[in-house]
Amino acid sequence: MQNNPYVPIPVDVDKIITEVTTKDIKTFRFTFVNKEDEENFKYLPGQFGELSIFGKGESPIGIASSPTQPGYIEFTVQKAGVVTSELHSMEEGARMGIRGPLGNTWPIEYLEGKNIVIVGGGFAFTTLRSLINYMIFEENRSSFGNITVVYGAREPGLLIYKDELAAWEKRDDINMNVTVDKGDETWTGREGFVPTVCKEVAPSSENAVAVICGPPIMIRFTLPVFFELGFSKENIYTSLEMRMKCGIGKCGRCNVGNKYVCKDGPVFSLAELDTLTKEY
Amino acid sequence: MEKRVIKKDALAGIIKNISNDMLVYAPVQDEDNVLFKVLEPGMEPLVEYANTKNAPKNFFFPQTETMMKYFRTERGRELAEVVEDAADAVLFGVRPCYARSFVLLDNIFDDPKYKDSYYIARREKTVIVSLACVHPPYTTCFCTSVGGHPMSLEGSDVVLTDLGDVYLAEFLTPKGEKLIEKMGNLEAADEALDAKKQELSDTAEKEIKSHIPANDIKPWLDENFENPFWDTIHRSCLACGTCTYLCPTCHCFDITDEVKGEEGRRIRTWDSCMSWLFTMETSGHNPRTSQKERWRQRLMHKFKYFVDNFGAVACVGCGRCVINCPVNIDIRKIVTDISKL
Repeated sequence: MQNNPYVPIPVDVDKIITEVTTKDIKTFRFTFVNKEDEENFKYLPGQFGELSIFGKGESPIGIASSPTQPGYIEFTVQKAGVVTSELHSMEEGARMGIRGPLGNTWPIEYLEGKNIVIVGGGFAFTTLRSLINYMIFEENRSSFGNITVVYGAREPGLLIYKDELAAWEKRDDINMNVTVDKGDETWTGREGFVPTVCKEVAPSSENAVAVICGPPIMIRFTLPVFFELGFSKENIYTSLEMRMKCGIGKCGRCNVGNKYVCKDGPVFSLAELDTLTKEY
Repeated sequence: MEKRVIKKDALAGIIKNISNDMLVYAPVQDEDNVLFKVLEPGMEPLVEYANTKNAPKNFFFPQTETMMKYFRTERGRELAEVVEDAADAVLFGVRPCYARSFVLLDNIFDDPKYKDSYYIARREKTVIVSLACVHPPYTTCFCTSVGGHPMSLEGSDVVLTDLGDVYLAEFLTPKGEKLIEKMGNLEAADEALDAKKQELSDTAEKEIKSHIPANDIKPWLDENFENPFWDTIHRSCLACGTCTYLCPTCHCFDITDEVKGEEGRRIRTWDSCMSWLFTMETSGHNPRTSQKERWRQRLMHKFKYFVDNFGAVACVGCGRCVINCPVNIDIRKIVTDISKL
């Protein structure tokens, strides 16, 4: 049974945080029912898990916590389909399952020794948050150069991880640039679209890697900014999403060209994506 | 390798006897079709038949299977049991093309990182007994174009070759050799039979009349994900999925849940890239918007992606998709047309 990759690891819902004013994005903190499962669940930022609810199904979601935060794992989930709707109706203390960790990771070894630019849009900030927490962890921080973050949402109420954003703002070893498309009466921060803010912040491409996640429209307008700043396609990374079932490269539905997003991805550099078909 | 002789009229009885001790999956007549089915007590398998309607992949990778069961508790639904029900078995009467299909499917289900325990458990406990195609059954057979041969030994534990009055039985693997004792007293085969088999092998190869340039089109596929040619093949397709369900190498599946009262099960069922739902995302976005993209995927998967990943074309040339397509889409013609572009 231990070797059966389809059997979910039992977990308990430990804590639920409603992230946005629209209440359709929540962060779920899970603890492992069995200690040995917790020890065996070794992951790195960028990987995902299949959230598994018996009776409803499974949904592949990026891991939002960092391995530097032991004892639990977190996923930030938008209410959308059958599984995520069921999840959103759950209460703390409920028992369910997780399969994982699945997929590849942000290229941690490659990122070490470099300046890192993180660009996130809206709700696609979850595995980026994992990466940020990983990099700024005390023992890891010296392995990375400057860290610049540009994170935007449509309006202040839609920014996720607000407490963490505030905490990161206070640090002097991470350059935070949080923006909203349009502020409200209480918003004192920056206004403007993510691509525009990237242009204003203008991070140097010298010894730097950009990691970009967001809605397609944001990515489309952000990439030219980074090309102009001199970032090569080898030094821009993103993460793909596709419909998945097995998560382990067998059920045949999440391929982009000859790669399975679940097994060979979800993380790809733009240079890698250029070699694949444009079918995602 | 052990070689024995089985009398022609004794074979069906021998297999029937084996089915007293082990699960035997074999070709049987079912109304108008010959189908692979589990032999019920007293049933004899067919030994003389052209080909089966279904591919025997069903035996290792069932059309529907229960993966696990669960039950309701106060905290939610929790695992009751993982259903792994593999038993010692014989898969009798497979054609050499299907035996090869298992070798190809092993790449998917038995990859180094993720082992599909359901498939592997059945595969390990099953002896594959093939019936060589001394006379390839159909004009649509094209195994020799995709790396196979009507009398290939690849993927089989035991191969039986009809030499006219007797079967030459070649026990190729340790698993196959264990079956000898269950077959009663079999005479040893002398070398003259080998020569006769070789002769038949040469004529069988010549009897394959359908040839396609399956290995030549990859360079074109590598370069032409976008090409007007893809507008030409899908128009008559009904998206019925018959080609994928009958294909010995198609392995796509779905995982779904079924609940009844306090209990439920998670099941795996065959799925098909021919269906629009296959890649439909929750958001409403679908990366393959029409049958054109789905057909391109089927072609690319078999003749490019699988070759990229595993070094072989994901087609064994059984011709089943050609025979059974309700609108006569012929993969041989598509491949041949591409080779002329």
